[in-house]
Amino acid sequence: MTISTLKSSEIFLKNNSQIIFLIGSILTSLGILLVTVGGSWDITNHLLSKPETFFSPPHALMYSGVAISLVGVVLSFVGWKNLNKLKNSYFLPFKIKLIGIGLLTGAGPLDFVWHSYFGLDGLLSPPHFTLITGMFLCSVGGMIGISKYLKFNNSRSISKYLLILAVIPVWLSASGIISSLSLPFSSTDFFEFNPEPTIAFIIASLAYPFLLSLSVFLIFRLSNYQFGLVSILGGLFLLIYSSTAIVPNFAMFDTIQFYSLNLIPFIIADIFLKLNRSKLTLFFVGGLVGSIFYMVYYPYIMYTYNEILLGKLVSPSLIYFVYFELIQTVLLYTLAPAIVMGFVGVVLSKKLSVKILMN
Amino acid sequence: MKKFLIYLSSFTLLSTYFILSVFILPPEFLMTEQLVPEPVFEAVLSETDIELGDSFRLDIASENTGDYADIHIVSVGFPNLTEINDVVKIATYDFSLSPSYISTGEEIGSNYSGGITTTFAEYPSIEAMSRPLKPNVDTHFDIVVTPEKPGMFNVYVKSIGIPHTSEFSHYPYSGTLDHQNEHVMVYSVTVNP
Repeated sequence: MTISTLKSSEIFLKNNSQIIFLIGSILTSLGILLVTVGGSWDITNHLLSKPETFFSPPHALMYSGVAISLVGVVLSFVGWKNLNKLKNSYFLPFKIKLIGIGLLTGAGPLDFVWHSYFGLDGLLSPPHFTLITGMFLCSVGGMIGISKYLKFNNSRSISKYLLILAVIPVWLSASGIISSLSLPFSSTDFFEFNPEPTIAFIIASLAYPFLLSLSVFLIFRLSNYQFGLVSILGGLFLLIYSSTAIVPNFAMFDTIQFYSLNLIPFIIADIFLKLNRSKLTLFFVGGLVGSIFYMVYYPYIMYTYNEILLGKLVSPSLIYFVYFELIQTVLLYTLAPAIVMGFVGVVLSKKLSVKILMN
Repeated sequence: MKKFLIYLSSFTLLSTYFILSVFILPPEFLMTEQLVPEPVFEAVLSETDIELGDSFRLDIASENTGDYADIHIVSVGFPNLTEINDVVKIATYDFSLSPSYISTGEEIGSNYSGGITTTFAEYPSIEAMSRPLKPNVDTHFDIVVTPEKPGMFNVYVKSIGIPHTSEFSHYPYSGTLDHQNEHVMVYSVTVNP
């Protein structure tokens, strides 16, 4: 390579450092999106005890996701290193992604060692928690990176659709953390990592509504109140969840119509936020999206509430029977706290979005 | 006026959503018929009378003649043993999950509750499991037994389908009750000294 080629590639990197950082952030988020989709699909396959080999489609999706995220973090580093200005501004998302990818890739060997010593593990185990935390951090880094780029470059409204790709992996991976801390899927021959049922009940009832509200309001604020994004984000979440947790279980296929109804509150939230951005409207929408958490997290959330309210044996074909048996009781207990957590999501989303968009 | 109409239709739609999701659809779904798996099996003893030191074979062919089963179980219990050791060997096994060995004193499910009510095993047993099992698919579980003491050697065999939604979700439907308060077929072999 000649000196002039070296110089020209250096100039190219310097001139395009921000866009390279953006591509890195997009790839990181996209990778985590694939990992979360694959993860959700894999959990369903485990519950259905479908024969599994290493080369199963969910695993392929997950490992491709990790590889794409890794490439994304490397690109982010290249972009960040060549930044002339805004280097400090982009350092935070880069740092978060770096820690995240470290945990994500480190979780693989840790999982192998864990399996070698203790056989099959449940949903919550040290390697799995390391993995999910890594996914969450990578997705947060990706989201901050994309949001900052859009802000610094006064991007047109069409580019703001990128925020859907930025927020959905954060929502899905944070859902993974809450699920692993509340679902009773973590009891093995060696360890009892199932959360205590009452604590699991409290975690699910508070954390899911908060996360729903936070996700909706983050995209709303980060996009500078662009209409349509809340509906698309909600619709995409429902699509991912239904195709990985409902469709693979033939016994639940008919309940798709019930699940698709959940698009209504997202669309209405979007319309209300378009019509009016008063505090009252914001809190109404926060409370609304918080209150629908039991429906949005259909079907697996039922396992958490079944532990304490019914204690039934739930085999795959009975999932929706138990879910519907519980729905009114669960809402009776959780509606008020869920609405309050929706309000908390509104307040915190404001603070977070200000911090994310800070120079 | 336009805004008012949008708000009005939005609130109507929201109310419809909550009414449908919480009050109308759940009872509709709860009224749909649950799956009823119906396990059956045929077991054949190679001998009914053996000398001490000799072996006999029990061949069990099971099937689910009802609806799709989330789990299909065939359990073989040995009320004359305290430990399985080398007395029982598995000869044929084509269930989808590995066999599960249950030791005396272990906490196990009872009354077809799938673990909701439990008891403690009074003797060892082996459980064969397929998850799931479609209707009319044959599964095989054959054992070779070499008793270590003379006298009557009994083997208890039963099959359970999960979800256990009817009295036909287990087999046999009546007869001898085992330590789990569940019906079993008894296969006896006389072991001569």
